[in-house]
Amino acid sequence: MHIDLKREIKESSAGKTGLVILLIMVSIATLAPLIAPYDPCQQSISSLLSPSLSHWLGTNQVGQDIWSRLVFGARTSLLVGFGVGIVSTLLATIFGVSAALVGGLYDKVVMRVVDAFIVIPMVIVVILVAAYLKPSILILMLLLSLLGWQGGARILRAQALSLREKGHIAAARSFGAHRFYIARRHIVPDLGPILVVDFIYSIRRAVFMEAGLAFMGITDPTVVSWGMMMRDALSFSYLDIWQWWLIPTGVALSLTIVGLTFIGYAAEPVIEPRLRGAEVA
Amino acid sequence: MLKIEGLSVSYGKSLVLNGIDLELGVGEALAVIGESGTGKTTLGLSIMRLVEGTVQGIIRFDGKDLLKLTDKEMRPIRWSRIAMVFQSVNNVLNPVHTILSQVAEPIIEHGLSSRKEAQNRAIELLSHFGLPQSCFAAYPHQLSSGEQQRGLIAMALANDPDLLILDEPLSSLDAINRADVGRLLKESATGHIMLVFTHDLATASRLADRVAVLYGGKIVEQGPAQDVLSRPRHPYTRALIRAYPNMTTVKDLQGIRGRMDGAISGCPFHPRCTQAIDICSREVPHLVSSQEHQVACHRGGIVTLLSTRNLTKSFGSLKAVDSVSLHIEGGETLALVGESSSGKTTLAKTIVGLYQLSEGAVYLEGAKVDSWRKDFYQSVQIVFQNPGESLSHRLSVLEAVVEPLDIQGIGTREEREHKAVQVLGEVELPQSREFLGKYPHQLSGGEAQRVAIARALVLEPKLLIADEPTTFLDASVQAKILKLLLNLQEQRGLSMLFITHDIALARKVSDRMAIMMGGKIIEEGPSSQIVVAPKQNYTKSLLDTASALRIDEPGAARFLISKER
Repeated sequence: MHIDLKREIKESSAGKTGLVILLIMVSIATLAPLIAPYDPCQQSISSLLSPSLSHWLGTNQVGQDIWSRLVFGARTSLLVGFGVGIVSTLLATIFGVSAALVGGLYDKVVMRVVDAFIVIPMVIVVILVAAYLKPSILILMLLLSLLGWQGGARILRAQALSLREKGHIAAARSFGAHRFYIARRHIVPDLGPILVVDFIYSIRRAVFMEAGLAFMGITDPTVVSWGMMMRDALSFSYLDIWQWWLIPTGVALSLTIVGLTFIGYAAEPVIEPRLRGAEVA
Repeated sequence: MLKIEGLSVSYGKSLVLNGIDLELGVGEALAVIGESGTGKTTLGLSIMRLVEGTVQGIIRFDGKDLLKLTDKEMRPIRWSRIAMVFQSVNNVLNPVHTILSQVAEPIIEHGLSSRKEAQNRAIELLSHFGLPQSCFAAYPHQLSSGEQQRGLIAMALANDPDLLILDEPLSSLDAINRADVGRLLKESATGHIMLVFTHDLATASRLADRVAVLYGGKIVEQGPAQDVLSRPRHPYTRALIRAYPNMTTVKDLQGIRGRMDGAISGCPFHPRCTQAIDICSREVPHLVSSQEHQVACHRGGIVTLLSTRNLTKSFGSLKAVDSVSLHIEGGETLALVGESSSGKTTLAKTIVGLYQLSEGAVYLEGAKVDSWRKDFYQSVQIVFQNPGESLSHRLSVLEAVVEPLDIQGIGTREEREHKAVQVLGEVELPQSREFLGKYPHQLSGGEAQRVAIARALVLEPKLLIADEPTTFLDASVQAKILKLLLNLQEQRGLSMLFITHDIALARKVSDRMAIMMGGKIIEEGPSSQIVVAPKQNYTKSLLDTASALRIDEPGAARFLISKER
């Protein structure tokens, strides 16, 4: 089984679209200080302005430039997304692979913990915890990671279990290799494509959760976030302002999530090869 | 009664015989076997006092030390008490006398009887050894070498000697004459002491009750002929038997690595021996007399490399391997034969620790294996059935072959790569940069399996477990891989546990076979015996269904057709 993830994604139009969207979002986020004309937190007396040449999307209730906030919002969104993606995939790999290779009681304990977390609805836990903690962005990332690795761990464990019986891994064991060597040299590289898919899923979930929590107003209010912008915009829904305040933010958030979903969709055959159509020779 | 003690013979500086001890009673027949150049003929000639080198030791014959006798005292003993049939027929007979007069000559010479009686005895002997009457008056050049050989034997027996020394007595005869003369010799040897020197194992087993194996001027193994030839304990004896073509061996012929050198310290065989340890090059081993079968080896003969005792592997309530006890000797191939799902692979994987054993134990060189750690894998390696799967698709040829050294942490980067390239050469693969950088999917099945074999050999294991190594290959590639494995066995003394469902294949590569069925070993023994005389019905059915080219005789085919009508 030789999986080429790059080919898998590039050959599907959904994958390509997703990649382009994500690329645009990532460039906006990284180049935010250059793109945004104003400091997103800079308040001014000119509040609730309509779009103009100096304020492309107008200003909000405290006179901050909405376009600049939109651009910096991408930063928060993707920072949380990638941060959670990395940490939760890492946790999933560590627990999934070690459970598969060590086996026995350790495996049972880890998997029961995973089961327990999967049963509990994540959103509610996050809301409850976040409501008490009013988390900073770092704590938020940690929280989302700790609650988000279990699904991935389950998939990775299953894959590692089947990989463990593969000839080349049996061969490595017959040279006297330790579990750690086998995990590092063979299993993790072989899991590569699945790790990427898990990573994408985690990012998407984190972006969505971050926006949702901000929307409910239970995150750090000093951080620029799309969720918070939409919440603010909604409280002025009686004005025309929603057209340039709510819609662009909603579209930005939706696009990011759709882009990630597209990539995930294109890469899905990696986890489930049966989804692959008959290949045209 | 012949007793040789500490006999050493040297020509100039080269020591040809080195401390030979032999004892022979009346009616005994001993065959001394060994390659040419091991000192067989010299031993014969020194008993006859015909050797030209420096002789030391004692040759006690009938109470007298032959080496202390003067030439005058020796003369009546030679030919009348001790007679010898020489190896090279052509030079021995006198071309100007008829065969009859030459056979009669020693009788007359020793004044034992009258000319007339001597003639009659000669005629009797010649006819006894199957020479037709028409040949009696012939000169040696008019006789075939077989007839000359019969004449020579008759001549040696003319005076009814107490000790008959035969140097390659049957080698100039064809198979049918060999059987005939062999039988006659055996008959006439009763009541004599017979000493046979030969490289021909069949002659040895035909003529002698006991066998002594000579190598580098020393006796390395001695015992009852049957025992020594069927269950050799010295590596040299086994190698000699493997190199010898006969109708009972089924395995392919194998040579002996290296060549014989004189003037070697320690055990004379150690440079060619595949199980030599330090002491072998320093000290000369002595014949250890345990019972009748003696062997001169520091390691007590061929070592048992790996054995299992009541090894059981269960998966839940299913016993995939059920109480299996087997052993593998150094340098031999044990074929494990059975149909699929008989537990062969499970057994192999349990032995190498890929599965945890449920009961029983594995012993490596006599020591129980408690944990399968790195040092175990330096001695035991496994090659899997499917090379396409056992090689990681992400590793290049070089990376794959270096991997075991990486894991074991042997040598520096360069040393590892150097070693890997060298082993690839040993398995007859290209050593070019281009090939080293190839990935498994760019290799043919045969190449991939060779890479897998090279990877297993890079740690220089003593035992290679080959689990159906050729099932994914076509016949010609399979033949090459098997030849390769046998060569490696010859060169490195590699032991093999060869797992296969194909008994036809197993018999070509194995010394012994174990038949496995339902997780149990149901029959075990020398491959030739299993193939020729299987005891179990299951073995018989394996043999019956083994691939064979059914070439019927035309007559038989016609018979079948007419019967059908």
